[in-house]
Amino acid sequence: MTGVGLSAEAIRAPLEAFIARESGARSVCIAALTRLGGGAVQENWRLDAVIDGEAVALVMRTSSATEGVEESLSRADEFALLRAARSAGVTVPEPLWLCTERSVIGRPFHVMRLAPGVSAGHRLVKDPRVGDALAGRLGRELARIHAIRPPRSDLAFLRAPSPTPVQQAIARMRRWLDGHRVPDPALEWALRWLERNEPPCPTLTLVHGDFRTGNYLVADGELTAILDWEFSAWGDPREDIGWFCARCWRFGAVGREAGGIGSRAAFYRGYEAESGCAIAPESIAYWEVMAHVRWAYIALQQGERHLSGADRSLELALTARIVPELRLESLLLIRAIEHGGAHA
Amino acid sequence: MRDRPTAADLLDIAREVLQQKILPALPAALRYDGLMIVNALANAQREIERGAAPLGAELARLAKLLGEALSAPEADRLTEDLTRLNRRFAAEIRAGRFDGDAAAAEHLLTTALDAVRESNPKYLSDREL
Repeated sequence: MTGVGLSAEAIRAPLEAFIARESGARSVCIAALTRLGGGAVQENWRLDAVIDGEAVALVMRTSSATEGVEESLSRADEFALLRAARSAGVTVPEPLWLCTERSVIGRPFHVMRLAPGVSAGHRLVKDPRVGDALAGRLGRELARIHAIRPPRSDLAFLRAPSPTPVQQAIARMRRWLDGHRVPDPALEWALRWLERNEPPCPTLTLVHGDFRTGNYLVADGELTAILDWEFSAWGDPREDIGWFCARCWRFGAVGREAGGIGSRAAFYRGYEAESGCAIAPESIAYWEVMAHVRWAYIALQQGERHLSGADRSLELALTARIVPELRLESLLLIRAIEHGGAHA
Repeated sequence: MRDRPTAADLLDIAREVLQQKILPALPAALRYDGLMIVNALANAQREIERGAAPLGAELARLAKLLGEALSAPEADRLTEDLTRLNRRFAAEIRAGRFDGDAAAAEHLLTTALDAVRESNPKYLSDREL
């Protein structure tokens, strides 16, 4: 069952039995199983179930057959993170049941309650109901994520960065570039700059790792869930702020610096109100350079998944074609910072 | 010498047919694939139209920066030479030998701009570069 994608018919009965056992329900019937789009690394399935006569919409999340991106967490870890985030008051899909045994559907998975809404960035940035209110709300949510701090026995799988989050990220990217077919002087330049300008690391917090437009759900202008926790780690909280605001994640709405959906000021205000800590704007510019470099590195890896034949796809091939503008943006940002800290 | 239409001419007209006739007739589920193909064809066309000139210019700047004398550049060795010099350049950047070097920064920026002219020229006009 693990070789290719899962088949709806093959997993229906085992899932019904699993849900009945976990929930203690007398009857579970899954009326429809639908593979959801998105998630190059994970497979998400919508389950329309009837549990003891009550209709419930659920999402089953499992690893896809081909995993190409390193450093992503297991489904069990992700499930623990969802629980921790939910207890910290972060808006996430309610985590229901975890299955670590392969005997049920052939892979580990977990089941959450379905959160309604749209995640697609290109649609959200054009939605007239989306603006500074959402940006402020996301700032508050992020501050709650950053209030989760080590040590935590329930999150023991998250390792401390060694020696610092920045140095660990730089070393990982350099290692990959060393094995890559072609040299990349522009990324090397940016990595060297990041190395020379590393800021002192503040108290470590939980870092979501992919907190950006496209990874949260919005229904009627309201946030309904923060998704995609597979890159979470202990780290420097400013990494998430820089990633969220970076120009490369504004989906063309470049004037709205908070993820293309609102103003940077509104996002920062929400964050500051919830955390009680002021954000130093110049400290975020550094992390926006890191954001462009990291996205370039991931986009190169996505291109390799296509080129190697492991996962032939036009979308992955075109993702690699974003790399030139990410290199350019990194160089321009560095120049702006060196010439007086102007924001992009 | 090759006859016209050239490869670039063919890509140009193929994309026009795709955009004007095929895309409007595609079911919604295939529209994103259609748009990606338009993007891929436009990318390939720009790369062919610009030819090897940007790579030759990059190699010349790079050789000057690294103080390497190049024999008259030959088209079939362009990629090989570029890879070799860029590998050296990348290693020296990592080792800190170009820290704060304005000429190196300028070269990288010129090279990056040139690449975006091929991959996404709209990005440059939107950014007013």
